[in-house]
Amino acid sequence: MTTHQIELAGVNKYYGAYHALRDINLKIRKGSFVALVGPSGCGKSTLLRSLAGLETISAGDLVIAGARMNGVPPRKRDLAMVFQSYALYPHMTVEENLTYSLRMRGVGKAEARRKAEEVAATTGLSNLLGRYPRELSGGQRQRVAMSRAIIRNPKAFLFDEPLSNLDAALRVHMRKEIRALHDRLGATSVYVTHDQIEAMTMADHVVVMRQGVIEQQGAPLELYDRPANQFVAGFIGSPAMNFVPARAGADGQSLVLDLDPPQTLQSPKPVAAGRALTVGIRPEHLQLSGEADAALRLPVGSVESTGAATYVTTATQPELVIVLNSRVTIRPGEMLPLHFDPSHLHLFDKETQVRLA
Amino acid sequence: MSFALRDKVMLLVAVLLAAIYLFPLYWMYVTAIKTGSAMFASPPSFWPSDPQWGIYGFVWESRNVGRYLWNSLVIASGAVSLIVVLGTGCAYVLARYRNVWVDIGLFLILMLQVLPASLMITPIFVGFSQLGLLDYPRVAVVLAIAAKSMPFFVVLVRATFMSVPMELEEAALVDGNSRFGAFFHIVLPLARNGILVSAILIFMQAFGEFVYSKSMIQAIEYQPASVGLNSFMGPNTNEWNNIMAYAAMYVTPILAIFVLLQRRIVSGLTSGALK
Amino acid sequence: MRKLLLSVSDGRGFDIGLVSVPLAFLFAMAGLPLIYNIVMSFQEVDMFSLGTFARPFVGFKNYITLFSLPETWPILRNTAVFVIASIAGQFTIGFALALFFWTGFPGSSWLRGLFLVSWVMPGLVVGAIWNWILSGDFGVLNYILREVGLVSGNIFWRSDPDFSLWAVVIANIWLGISFNMILLSVGLSAISRDLYEAAELDGANVVQRFFTITLPMMRSTIGAIIALGLIFTLQQFDLFAAITAGGPNNSSNVAQYWAWDMSFRQYDFAQGATISVIMIVFVMIASVVYVRSTRHEVRG
Repeated sequence: MTTHQIELAGVNKYYGAYHALRDINLKIRKGSFVALVGPSGCGKSTLLRSLAGLETISAGDLVIAGARMNGVPPRKRDLAMVFQSYALYPHMTVEENLTYSLRMRGVGKAEARRKAEEVAATTGLSNLLGRYPRELSGGQRQRVAMSRAIIRNPKAFLFDEPLSNLDAALRVHMRKEIRALHDRLGATSVYVTHDQIEAMTMADHVVVMRQGVIEQQGAPLELYDRPANQFVAGFIGSPAMNFVPARAGADGQSLVLDLDPPQTLQSPKPVAAGRALTVGIRPEHLQLSGEADAALRLPVGSVESTGAATYVTTATQPELVIVLNSRVTIRPGEMLPLHFDPSHLHLFDKETQVRLA
Repeated sequence: MSFALRDKVMLLVAVLLAAIYLFPLYWMYVTAIKTGSAMFASPPSFWPSDPQWGIYGFVWESRNVGRYLWNSLVIASGAVSLIVVLGTGCAYVLARYRNVWVDIGLFLILMLQVLPASLMITPIFVGFSQLGLLDYPRVAVVLAIAAKSMPFFVVLVRATFMSVPMELEEAALVDGNSRFGAFFHIVLPLARNGILVSAILIFMQAFGEFVYSKSMIQAIEYQPASVGLNSFMGPNTNEWNNIMAYAAMYVTPILAIFVLLQRRIVSGLTSGALK
Repeated sequence: MRKLLLSVSDGRGFDIGLVSVPLAFLFAMAGLPLIYNIVMSFQEVDMFSLGTFARPFVGFKNYITLFSLPETWPILRNTAVFVIASIAGQFTIGFALALFFWTGFPGSSWLRGLFLVSWVMPGLVVGAIWNWILSGDFGVLNYILREVGLVSGNIFWRSDPDFSLWAVVIANIWLGISFNMILLSVGLSAISRDLYEAAELDGANVVQRFFTITLPMMRSTIGAIIALGLIFTLQQFDLFAAITAGGPNNSSNVAQYWAWDMSFRQYDFAQGATISVIMIVFVMIASVVYVRSTRHEVRG
C-alpha cells in the first residue's frame, strides 16, 4: 500500500523529434498540494495533460492510486481538471454543468440535483444554478469550473493556470479560496502556474521546471533558502535575486566581486582558490549599514518609492536591485553602504550554474 | 493503433472518398474521348482503349463552341463588372455603420438573395419585352444576373470590409483625406483580396447561368455555352461523346481557376456565407 | 448646391449615394419584378397583351384554374419529395464528411477543398453528366448497381415515371454535398477543443460527446444550413432541364420548373406568374427562418 496518490517514474514525452518531457520523477502524496511552475514552454502543462491522459507518454510509468495508468483513456482515470478557459459547457445551465459527469455515469436525476445543490452551497453558487455561463462573471465561472470538479470526488484535482484570466485583486482572493477548498476536502491537487508567487503561497511542494526537466522540487521555503541552481534562484522570489560574477581569492576565504571597482567580501564557506563563481543575494537581504560595518559600497542609479518600501537600482555593471523596507531619502549618485547576513549569500559555479555544496 | 498509422489510414480513406465523389467528372472526360462503340459497350470501360483526342477539335468546329464560350464570357464579365461597381460601395457602407437602417437594408438584401431565377424570369421577361430590352438580349441577361447575384456579393464583401479596422480610415481622414479619398486610397486596397475572391465566385456562377439566358436570348449567335449545351441534348440524343467533349471544354476553364484559387475561395465562402 | 456636392464626396451624401444607387438597381430589377409577378397573377395575359400594362383584371381566376388542373397536386407533392429527399441526403452525407475531415489528419484541409468542385460547376454540365450516368441502357450507374448485385435489370432512371424524380434527386444530392460539408465544418471548428477534453475527463465517450456537446452546440448552424438548403433546392432548375425536363408525364416536374414551363413552353404567363407567387411565399418563409437562426448564436 502506498501513501503516494500519484507517481511518475522516468517519464519521457516526445512530439516527433521534440523532447518535451525528460526523465520526470515525481511522487505526489495523498492530500498534498503540488505546484508545477516554470516559464512558458517548460513542459508543465504537458505534464499535467499527460497526467489527465489528454496526452500520451512516450516512455516511463504513470501510477495513480496504485494502478498503472499509461494507456488508460482520460474518462477512466477519475481525475478532475480545471481548465484555464474554464471550459464550461455554454449550452447548459450551471446545474447541468455540474451534473454532467454524474449523468454520464448514469446517476439518477434527483440524486444528481441533490449533489449539485450540496456542492453549490459550499462554493457559494446556490442561487446561480439556473444561469448560463455567459451570464456569469469571471470569478463566478471559475467557481463553477471548480464545483464541476468537486462534485466528482476524484482521485486528484488538476489545475491548468486557473487564475490567469482574472484580475489581480480577484486572483489574490481566489488563491486563498482554492487552498482552503483543498484543505477542506482533504484532496490531492496538482496546480500548474507560471506565477511563482501563486506556487509559493499555495503549495506544500513546489516543482520548478525548465525545458522539460525538473530543475528542483521541494517545500517552498526550501527552494527559496537553498536553490539548487541559478535558474531556480532567479525564478523564485520577486524581485529576482541579484547575480554578480566573482572569483575566489587566493586565500580561499574571500570573494572578489567583478564590479567596477572590484569589491571583496568574506566568503561564507571555503572555496577553491581562484575558482570562477557567480554570487547571488536577494534584494531584500541587502540592508543599509553604518559606514563602519559596511560590507559593500554601491553607487545609486535610480530610486523608486512605493510609500512602504524603497527600490534602489545601483549604477553598476551588472545592476543590482536593493529593497529597503522603509522610506529612505537617497539620491542617485550617492554611495550606499550595505551589509547582509552571510547565510544569505549564495554561491554558484560560473560554468554549470549549480549551487556550491 | 499508433497515431502515424491512423493518419495514414484516414488519408487513404479520404482519397477513396474523394475519388468516388469526383467520379462523375472523371466520367465526363473519359466519355469524351471514347469512340462511338466504346461509349455504348457493356460493360463500360473505365479507360478507353482507343482514345479519340481529335474529338475536341471536331466538336469545337462543328458546334461553334468558340462562339458559345465567347458569349458566356461576355455575359459573365458584364455581370461581374456591374456587380463589383455597384456592390462594393454598398457593402462598404453596410459594414461601416450599425443602425436600424442598416439592419433593414441587410434584411432586404438577404431576402432578395433567395428568389429563384425560374420564378423571377416571368415578370422580368414580360417587363423587359415591354421596355424593348429584349432587342439587346445579352444586356438583358447581364442586368438580370447582376440583380440576382449582387446580394450574395454584398454579403461576402461586407464581411471583408468589416475586417478592415475603422482606425485606419479615421487616421486617413485626420490626415486630410475626404471620405471618398479615404475609401478609395486606404480602405479599398486593403479589401482588395476579399473583393477579388467574391468577384471570382460570382463570375463562376454567371458563367454557368442558364435560366435567364435560355429564356431571353432567342438568337443563336448570342447564346452562351449553357444554352448551347442544352440545345445539344434532345430527348433521344445519343452522341454522348460529343456532348461530354462540349461539357469538358465548357467546364475546364472554371475548374482550372478553382484549383488554382481553392484555398482563397474556401476561406472567402466560410467567412461570409454564415454571417 | 455646393453643399450637396460637398456632402457627396465627403459626408453623409457619400454614404447615401453609395448605398442608394445599388439599392435602386436592386429594387428595379428584383423588387419590381416581384410586385409585377403578383400583379400578373391577377391578370389575364396572352401573347397579344404582352406589350401593355393594362390587362384585364380577373381576380383569383388564375389561382382557381391552377388548383383545378390535374397535375397541380402531383407536382406540388413532387416538389415536397424533391426538397425533403435532397436535403436529407445532402445533409447526412455532408455531415458525415465534415466529421470525417474534422479529425484533422494531415492532408485533410487540402482534400476537403476537392469536394467543392460541384459548387463551381455550371448546373447544366452537372445535369448533362448525370444524365449520361443515369442512362438506362448504357449508363455506368446501372452497370455498377448490377455488378454489386443491388438490382437485376436496368433501371430506366430518366424515362420510368417511378424513378424520374429520383434521378434528379441523386444528382442534386451530389451537387449539394459540398456546401453542406463546408458550412458544417465551419460550425464544427467553432466548438472549442477544451469542451471535448472537459467532457472526456467527465467520463463521456465518443458517442456521448457527439450527442451532448457537438449537436446541441451546432443547433443554430444546423438550422441555418437546412434553411439555406431549402432555399437552394427550391432554386434548382438546371438539373431538371438537363435530365428529365419534368417528364415523363410530369412525374419529375416540380413547381419551379413548372412555372418556367408554363411561361415559356405553354406561353401561359399568367399561370407562370401564379405559380411563382405561391412558391415565392414558401421561399420567403424559409429565408425568415434562415435570418432568425443566424442571429441566435451560442457563444462558447
